[in-house]
Amino acid sequence: MARPARLTAQALALAVVVGLLVLLVWRVVHDDNNGISQALSAGRHPTAPAFDLKRLDGRGTIDLASLRGKKPLVLDFWASWCVPCIHESKRLEAARKRYGDRVAFIGVDTKDFSDDARHWQREHGISYPSVHDGNGKVLAKWGGLPIPKIFFVARSGKVVGELVVEEDLPRYLRQIAES
Amino acid sequence: MKRLAVVFVAALLAVPLAHASERHPTQAELEGEVMCPVCGTTLDQSSSPAAQQIKRVIAKGIAAGQTKSEIEDRLVAEYGQAILAAPPRHGFGLLAWWLPIAGIVVAAVVVGLGAWRWSRAREPAPRPAQLDPALEHRLDDELRRFEA
Repeated sequence: MARPARLTAQALALAVVVGLLVLLVWRVVHDDNNGISQALSAGRHPTAPAFDLKRLDGRGTIDLASLRGKKPLVLDFWASWCVPCIHESKRLEAARKRYGDRVAFIGVDTKDFSDDARHWQREHGISYPSVHDGNGKVLAKWGGLPIPKIFFVARSGKVVGELVVEEDLPRYLRQIAES
Repeated sequence: MKRLAVVFVAALLAVPLAHASERHPTQAELEGEVMCPVCGTTLDQSSSPAAQQIKRVIAKGIAAGQTKSEIEDRLVAEYGQAILAAPPRHGFGLLAWWLPIAGIVVAAVVVGLGAWRWSRAREPAPRPAQLDPALEHRLDDELRRFEA
């Protein structure tokens, strides 16, 4: 092979290898494990990632960023196929009766069929509004599966915590209600 | 020529089959082409509650006489494009279809070119050295004596 042609082929091969390496690094950096859940586990309290998703009830959208500075909120990730979600959402529904005037409760129906999700809400008497995250992109930003996942966000927009132990629910609610 | 005829007949048969699959999709066929959103496998390999939910949606769609595209479009509207196991045959998704074919063609060209250059660059086999006529004559005499 002539020298210029060989150099071109070598440069091309090198470019392909470098390209694949860049792709690998990008994938590792943007891994789904870099969610809010993982940040909280590491002791950090990041700002809640914004989303603007359609409401399940068809009444427009909910823009999370627009709530920042106005009201603290509880974010409940659920799906109609998730059996433990029934219990957790019912607990939040009960808590809403006490804290609903000071704290916003928002459900995020994720990786779910919206008709089933609406039926599930009616069946279990869940009245707080939910948005539809069909492809699970919002869930991925908050830490991914498994669900249920419940987060508490202060009025400032900082994520205060995630519900890991059931008994922590009243403590978190008091904390964000006073924020 | 015979091979070409076989390929042509196979292509002719494949068209109505694809058309029938589009108009009357089967549950098994769609379960092999749709992903379970929580397990990373196709529906036919999962029995998770999320997979069961989509299987029911597909069964309802088939019972209602929907075409394969209509059922797939409904699933994509709910779950996004990633719910389909195969990438779309338009836009950026085309890359996934054509890149492997382009790779095979490029590799075949490179190997072909390499083989062609290799076969041309080979040195011709060295001709056997010519013997001195006197020595050849002496050798023949020796051989004759040996055989006698």
